[in-house]
Amino acid sequence: MSQASGAGPLIQVENITRVFHVGGEEVRALRGVSFGINRGEWVAIIGQSGSGKSTMMNVLGCLDTPSSGRYMLNGKDVSRMSDDELAVIRNVEIGFIFQTFQLLPKETALANVELPLVYRGVSAKERRARATAALEKVQLAHRMHHRPNELSGGQRQRVAIARALVSEPSMLLADEPTGNLDSATGEEIVRLFEQLHKAGHTLVLVTHEPKLAARCPRAIRLSDGEIVADGDGRTVAMGTASDVLNAGGA
Amino acid sequence: MSQRSAFRVDVLEGARIAVFSLKANRLRTVLTTLGIGIGVATLLAIVGIIQGLNTSFHKQLATFGANTMYVSKWPWMIKGDWWKYRNRKNFTLDQMHRLRTLAPFVTAMSPAVSRLSDVAHGGEQMSTVRIQGVTHEYLNISGYEITGGRFLTEADDATTRPVAVVGADVVDGLFPGVSPVGQSIRIDNRTFQVVGTLSRKGKMVGESMDLLVFIPFKTFYSSFGKGRSFEIALAVEDASQMRSAEDQLTGIMRRVRSTPPGAEDDFSINRPEAMAKTYEQLTGALYGVAVGVGLITLLVGGIGIMNIMLVSVRERTREIGVRRALGARKRTIVFQFLMEASSVSAVGGLLGTTVGLGTAKVVSLITPLAADVQPMTVVAGVGFAALVGLLFGIWPAARAANLDPVEALRYE
Repeated sequence: MSQASGAGPLIQVENITRVFHVGGEEVRALRGVSFGINRGEWVAIIGQSGSGKSTMMNVLGCLDTPSSGRYMLNGKDVSRMSDDELAVIRNVEIGFIFQTFQLLPKETALANVELPLVYRGVSAKERRARATAALEKVQLAHRMHHRPNELSGGQRQRVAIARALVSEPSMLLADEPTGNLDSATGEEIVRLFEQLHKAGHTLVLVTHEPKLAARCPRAIRLSDGEIVADGDGRTVAMGTASDVLNAGGA
Repeated sequence: MSQRSAFRVDVLEGARIAVFSLKANRLRTVLTTLGIGIGVATLLAIVGIIQGLNTSFHKQLATFGANTMYVSKWPWMIKGDWWKYRNRKNFTLDQMHRLRTLAPFVTAMSPAVSRLSDVAHGGEQMSTVRIQGVTHEYLNISGYEITGGRFLTEADDATTRPVAVVGADVVDGLFPGVSPVGQSIRIDNRTFQVVGTLSRKGKMVGESMDLLVFIPFKTFYSSFGKGRSFEIALAVEDASQMRSAEDQLTGIMRRVRSTPPGAEDDFSINRPEAMAKTYEQLTGALYGVAVGVGLITLLVGGIGIMNIMLVSVRERTREIGVRRALGARKRTIVFQFLMEASSVSAVGGLLGTTVGLGTAKVVSLITPLAADVQPMTVVAGVGFAALVGLLFGIWPAARAANLDPVEALRYE
């Protein structure tokens, strides 16, 4: 890992709120959330639809800024950064993995994986070498010249994971990474996450699936924009029967 | 990442994506390109033809000599009442001589009178040849050169000799393969001896300047009658002082002609160079209208580009979201779309330039209009097209860059 230096947690979120104004009405998606995540942790953020977990994921991913509160990422206060500064933070600190993969359909797997390095100004030769290495890590080097529509769902998600890994970010931020995959392929991806966790990567996984959250060593449960549980993954994920029953509604 | 390398990323990646996207949407690219291309082609063809007109006009005008003037009964470009000029009194040779003594800045002076006649030699005949009665100094005023024999002399005029100096068209028409000097020609059944031949001047506003015969001024009057009025052709020392020379000449002529103070001039001073101004006013208006039409066509092309760019932005909303999430700054996205818009336009500009130049060329081949496209026009055409693309690309590009990444990623 590149940014393993510095004391204190990788992520420190302090009393974060996020208020949206929708048609004159105030929607409080996050109502004062605080937690920390250390380097090398694998944390699930779990909650039902409308719990604020998507907003939390956007804030953690620096795609959105909190209305109030402080968000320290790798020693930097990113809660008040400009748009351009946030773009650099996203590029350097965060590796995104999306439910719908979000690969550029007309580009090859290799070009897709190279993209974060393009925006970092890495030379073409080095980009290619690093992207190839990243694809090897997800066992897709043999498919690197294929376009996304020539790949299976699981392969697409592995390309997306390679893209997230290629820039050696501080954390991988995954949003329902198995949501669009069948259970066998989903299991494959979860195994890949387990490997990455063992290799020392910091993983934050946003999901509504208790089963997936239960696989994580730690889980944070959000409800109505507040943290209602934070602890061992299995315990938090399977916490109450009603949570489990309602979890399918996203 | 430093500012400079960030900028390099913006430009390089912008260009790469632009080319990629243009290739991916070939038909759309071609159609958009056409819009701009037609605009540029229209503009260039028009500008080329008008520039050609101007160039040939000025070239012809230059053969007159920049320092020549003609004092005449009427202006060359008559505005208003022709009869007013017609009723002016003819000049007399005495008036001309007095003008000469009073205007020391005049370096050459000659009376000039002309008519159209048939000219024949042996079995060959040419009609509507301009016969001009002039004196020896006219050679320096007219801008012709002698290619064989000699020009008219003072003695030719004093003794009303029936001699003639013939223009290049007359040489071609009457003396194919023969040297005309020493031969005789008949002008309206009067015999003249050819003593010299003139250099070729070419055409002036579609009329040949070489279908003419110079004969001594006095010979003209004794042969064809004294009814016709003559002009006074003159050259002045300094071509840069034409304006003041014209003013001085006006004063002197009024004295010579005894024009009462306050009365209108009863003569006109014509300057070929001043004619150019009238001409330019005329074509200037035409130019303005034509360029306006071209610009409107370009504007329409530009709107076409804006339209297609807006579609492109919408189509690629998710892509924009992905790029933003992976670290593209707003500026990078702006560059991407501006590059796309301006490269479509520049390609259109290049296409339009080719078609426009071709059109101008064809026009100059099948009509008397001579098209002339200057290199700057081509550069301006392509550059201007790219600029149009850039301008009309700004709004779509700004829209793309200002998309909320979260919303863009969610866009279906």
